[in-house]
Amino acid sequence: MSQPLLHRRDVLKLSAAGLLSGVSVPWFESLASAAPALKKPRGKSCILLWMDGGPSQQHTFDPKPSGEFKSAKTAVPGIQIVEQLPQLAQCMDDMVLLRSMKTEINDHYDAKYYLHTGYKRASAFEHPAVGCIASSQLGLPNDDLPAFVTIDAGSDKVNGGRFYRSVPAYLGPQHAPLAVHDPYKGLENLKESGTDLVDRLELLGSGEAQFATEYPLPAVGAKQAAFDRAVRLMRSKRAKAFDLDQEPKKVREEYGAHKFGQSCLMARRLVEAGVSFVEVFHRGWDDHEGAAKRIAARAPWMDAGMSALIRDLKQRGMLDDTLVVWMGEFGRSPGDGGGHYCNAWSTAWAGGGLKTGQVIGKTSETGKNAGGTVTERPISAPDYIATLCLALGIDTHQEFTAAGNRPMPLVDKTAKPITEILK
Amino acid sequence: MPSIPRIVVVLALVLLPAPVVRADDPLLERDVLPVLTKQCLGCHGGLRQKGGLDLRTIPAMLKGGESGPAVKSRDAGASEMWKRIESDEMPPNDKKLTAVEKAAIKGWIAAGMPTVAQRQKDADPLLAAGKKHDPKEVAATIDAHLGKSLTVAKLKPAGRSDDTEFLRRVYLDLTGRVPTAEQAVAFLDSKDADKRAKLIDALLATPQYGEQFGRTWRDWICPPELPSDPNSGKQPNTEAQNLGKWLGTRFAAGDPWDAIARDVITVEGDIRSKPQVIFFALSGEGGKATPAGSARATAALFMGVQLQCAECHDDPYRAWSQKEHWALAAFFAKTTGDFGKVSEARGGKPEVTIPKSAFLNAGNSVSAAFLGGKTTAVKGDALRPALAEWLTAKDNPYFARAFANRLWFYFFARGIVNPVDDFRELNPPSHPGLMKLLANEFADAGFDVKHLVRCVCNSEAYQRTSRVAPGADEPTVSALTANFGWMPLRVMTADVLLDSLKLAYGDPKLDLRAIDPKDGNASGESAPVAEPYLEFLRRFGTNKEDATDFTHGIPQMLSMINHPRLLAGSKALDAKLKAKPAPDADAVVEWLYLSTLSRRPTASEKAAADRYLNKATDPAKGYNGVLWMLVNRTEYLLVR
Repeated sequence: MSQPLLHRRDVLKLSAAGLLSGVSVPWFESLASAAPALKKPRGKSCILLWMDGGPSQQHTFDPKPSGEFKSAKTAVPGIQIVEQLPQLAQCMDDMVLLRSMKTEINDHYDAKYYLHTGYKRASAFEHPAVGCIASSQLGLPNDDLPAFVTIDAGSDKVNGGRFYRSVPAYLGPQHAPLAVHDPYKGLENLKESGTDLVDRLELLGSGEAQFATEYPLPAVGAKQAAFDRAVRLMRSKRAKAFDLDQEPKKVREEYGAHKFGQSCLMARRLVEAGVSFVEVFHRGWDDHEGAAKRIAARAPWMDAGMSALIRDLKQRGMLDDTLVVWMGEFGRSPGDGGGHYCNAWSTAWAGGGLKTGQVIGKTSETGKNAGGTVTERPISAPDYIATLCLALGIDTHQEFTAAGNRPMPLVDKTAKPITEILK
Repeated sequence: MPSIPRIVVVLALVLLPAPVVRADDPLLERDVLPVLTKQCLGCHGGLRQKGGLDLRTIPAMLKGGESGPAVKSRDAGASEMWKRIESDEMPPNDKKLTAVEKAAIKGWIAAGMPTVAQRQKDADPLLAAGKKHDPKEVAATIDAHLGKSLTVAKLKPAGRSDDTEFLRRVYLDLTGRVPTAEQAVAFLDSKDADKRAKLIDALLATPQYGEQFGRTWRDWICPPELPSDPNSGKQPNTEAQNLGKWLGTRFAAGDPWDAIARDVITVEGDIRSKPQVIFFALSGEGGKATPAGSARATAALFMGVQLQCAECHDDPYRAWSQKEHWALAAFFAKTTGDFGKVSEARGGKPEVTIPKSAFLNAGNSVSAAFLGGKTTAVKGDALRPALAEWLTAKDNPYFARAFANRLWFYFFARGIVNPVDDFRELNPPSHPGLMKLLANEFADAGFDVKHLVRCVCNSEAYQRTSRVAPGADEPTVSALTANFGWMPLRVMTADVLLDSLKLAYGDPKLDLRAIDPKDGNASGESAPVAEPYLEFLRRFGTNKEDATDFTHGIPQMLSMINHPRLLAGSKALDAKLKAKPAPDADAVVEWLYLSTLSRRPTASEKAAADRYLNKATDPAKGYNGVLWMLVNRTEYLLVR
């Protein structure tokens, strides 16, 4: 049974050790000399583009002859997607389409949980979300930039059930995501409030040192180390990753004048700064009244944002080390996309050092319910999570301990990863 | 500046792996049998008895095999078993016993081969059962128990807390918030020799005591993620909070625990008038009551027993068989419940059928029987009432000790049995006599919760300081923790922190979310940010299993450092400043310290505040900065 490199306790203890420097030298000065940007020996990074509510596959990456949207050629001969996504079509060399997702759950909330954790929701305890897993496996303990960030790209409809919040569960709270509520505003509470923070830190520092000598205990060290990290983050150059104004106008325009595109841009900046996992979510894809009209309106900004991200990562030499995944909690019923559909749907992946320029799995092409069944290589939720982990270089055989001493494998043991796309 | 040795102490505390600290001798069931099972019983057990030796029981060990008796009590050196293990002659294969395993065997023989069963039977509560005692008498007996174990472990307990430590601790523990500056002054300046006991009594009479105990039990009852509708994801947050309020009203009124437990277990009706209805849906599957879920929750909360493994198979580590679990579940076989109501079907046999989801014995019917007791024929339709009657009887072996242990855990961040819901032979109490004392007293007092709280809070054990003695190393601190020889530092729960901040800022609607409520992201099920109270609970939630574990990280610290509200002043402070005659700066600083840290500032703290205030452009801003500093202090976030 292999275990994560560092247990939560160890991490806390290490961070508590940070207290020592704080006690032996004036506490606030150590904060001012913010740690140099760490070149971390990390694995890959991941940007998850989550279309909350369930996007229609036939109106995006798996068009059918009988469908509402026309197919169009892509940069890869033989692969076609809807004509509404022309820029993504040009990126197909760097993409893999998984068209045979078959994931059992047609209810929003349970499906969001299943596709984020690889496990079905249980009543006794929670499972960690994939972003938290990545944080625990790829992040550097006590880095001043947390390893997992979520960005809210807004919504165009209030629908699709309760929002799923990534929970680290038994991996430990330090793997909870840092949340950006609006890419235009950056990270909440990152900006100093008031004008005299330095004076207030000095005032705080003297009392803190005294308390640590009277109570030299782990909880005290952990608090002071966490506080330290937060102040370091505020002063870190890397925190500028949350500030889109740092980006040239031309680049911002390329990503599209929409919260989604700007969130993709922030995701790239964060990965560049060393964040391991970014989840960008856009809410409102629960198109019960039919997907055609809605997706026709969304396609331009989705096409611009996601393709700009892929191109930009490639241009910067980051694409091989950055996996981009586009998906929702399920697809839509064949035809007009009016219903939830978990039986045969698509996710689109890019970069990540995958064997790109190919399609995995097939759905039925013709017939009364064209696209309604998977005809080749069904992909279950555990298969999908296992593949994602392996693509990021995460060992999927590790075991953790959930509440009640329950041994929990990182990925459900039934998973059959899609090795065809892994190099 | 701290001296070098202090730093070394800090290092040692922080970096060394925690050694296994036992408050007592190795015990057969807990420490020795696991080693023998793993290493020895394959050849000297039920299947084979090589050399004529059977090591499964003490009589068999004493009888021994071809080489004579395997053990000689209190003399490891003369014990054949130990000699062969020590020399690694045994086991004959490559896998030898580890140093820890060897120490367990040797220590056990040297201690006279004690067993859990015998020790629990022999444990002396030091106070006769059968009547309710004066809380101070019980408190002294608690200290006598702990004093004995501390002496045996050669440990010097921490000294008595000073008044500021005690004041803040008892307010946080009994009312779930810090005292106001005025309350703090009243206590600190009182010359009454009995002021601590009087304060405990006074706090137990406040509605805040009920509120705090109600929400603490709410958090123990509610799973981490409340069951929700699988599609919309709607969670019964309001109903869960109402459960906490209902429990709080009962605790505040002084209702005995057996009455509260009975009202939960036997409830029938509508959630609007009976908030405890939610207990069944919470413990079931997908928001519906199930017999197995109800049994599991009843056992964990009211009996301190874990049954979840026995749902599907005999539990390999615990005493419960699958049949015993389902016999308990059978009491709930006729119960239907969701987030709206709970009802009971009438008639039929008192039995349950093991469902297909259990991988053994699915389809078998099991009749209702009390856990660990003889099968009892339950007549008529009164299944749950029959269970409640058995459970809350004065001589029930589980009910009183389960509550007493949880209460102890609440105050000391560690149960007498750990985990708190895992009473079993292989996991015995660290202080069996103390466990007996508390359970007896609780039952003899008619399950009077306030009485038990009085007994514990008046003890020296509860009133010890959280300061570590100079020079204490980590093994010593761990040993003191295991022996309840000091008061560990605990982290304020989200509820306690929020209520304390509300007091300090004079703002009952304090909202620490960092979103614009007008931007549409703040409401509705699909919003990523919940309403202020829920959002605060999520953000500042703490480790329910270990209150000493500081788990807050960057998001929480950024909220505390930069949320504009925490620098925007306090309505409580405004009122103070308007007082006639106007208070001077020293008085204001003192008032701010009392309102947050429940103590007056030291001379150097006063001087530091003065320096800061002199730099401030206007006095109000200066005071706001001091308040910000105080709520950002480590001392503020912890219960010492």
